[in-house]
Amino acid sequence: MNTLNGNITSIQSYEGISLVKVKSNDTIFTSIVLDTPETASYLETGHSVKIIFKETEVIISKDFSPNISIQNRLQCTIESIKKGVLLSQISLNFGETVIESIITTNACEQLQLEKKDAVMALIKTNEVSLSPND
Amino acid sequence: MLQTADGKLPLDVSFTIEKGQFLAIYGNSGTGKTTLLRILAGLTQAEKTHIEVANEVWDNSQNKIHLSVQNRSIGFVFQDYALFPNLTVKENLEFALQKNDNTQIVSELIELMELQSLQNSKPQNLSGGQKQRVALARAIVRKPKILLLDEPLSALDDEMRFKLQDYILKIHQKYQLTTVMITHSIPEIFKLSDKVIILDKGKILKEGTPSEVFSEEKISSKFKLTGEIISITKSDIIYIIQVFSGNNIIKVVATENEIKDFKIGQKVLVASKAFNPIIQVLS
Repeated sequence: MNTLNGNITSIQSYEGISLVKVKSNDTIFTSIVLDTPETASYLETGHSVKIIFKETEVIISKDFSPNISIQNRLQCTIESIKKGVLLSQISLNFGETVIESIITTNACEQLQLEKKDAVMALIKTNEVSLSPND
Repeated sequence: MLQTADGKLPLDVSFTIEKGQFLAIYGNSGTGKTTLLRILAGLTQAEKTHIEVANEVWDNSQNKIHLSVQNRSIGFVFQDYALFPNLTVKENLEFALQKNDNTQIVSELIELMELQSLQNSKPQNLSGGQKQRVALARAIVRKPKILLLDEPLSALDDEMRFKLQDYILKIHQKYQLTTVMITHSIPEIFKLSDKVIILDKGKILKEGTPSEVFSEEKISSKFKLTGEIISITKSDIIYIIQVFSGNNIIKVVATENEIKDFKIGQKVLVASKAFNPIIQVLS
């Protein structure tokens, strides 16, 4: 899994669900959770949290401002590519950290991804979990 | 004092159980769980104690009060069955009766625990689950105030375990018992108990309802289960981790980097967001 540290910058809650914004590496992440500040004490502005998402949920785009619904958009450069028969693992430099993406080898070839390419990593809001740092 | 691998360790606990509550005691081996139950039962005398049950003092070291096992209103079931081998099921239950007790309870328990067809069998002809059902029935023949259970289901397979849990719950409710049960199974604690105490090295580490104690939010994901890794297989550039959880085997994809920390038999938490799983009605 990909894990990044960040701090909560805002929380919008409605009927048991919260949309939580977390800042990490100067980028704002959005996560949606089935909790509210009433049910989970870590949901408060400023609280340090881990942002967690699975490698297989990281979409790669060569277009830097795609007109699509995905909220989490990370500017990255490709550090390395490990090509498999069906799947490929792309290591991405994001600020000071590395995040991993697993996409199909077909997709990797279609996008002609190369080392050092600048790409956008995209993660849907509902794929991002949070874990409080205590 | 507890005799442990690390030498002598004081058992130092203080807690209250409400009448009718089902308390689970959870913790590693050698942390004092069984000793605690034995002290409650009067089988072990502690150096400093105060045990009061419904305004009756059972133990008070200062005033030298120590009620004998016979004078405590308790039922006890251990992991091993401890039935009298030469007596039938029914006789085993009757043996627990005292002089002026109403014998009606024996037939009532035989019915409640569904032992009718076994009542004339000797323990040697019973399965582990059946023996434990008899042991449970015998423990409450005298309608104790408190039922003490020391891992009574740990020797049974899952299916039998689930059944016996239902019987335990049934007698706990019907006879309005206050039950204290030692168990290593977290699902069992959630199913049976109102309150749980985690013992660690002779001290209470945590205490509260099962969800307060075990559902501490380590991750916001709501689709969570715990299990044991049973296999790690490389497929292309990823790894497939098989996890055994409850009665199911599930599969989770992991990266090469992650599997460095994994080994067969390891206990793991598998989590996904509540948004991902598809839910379908079984026909």
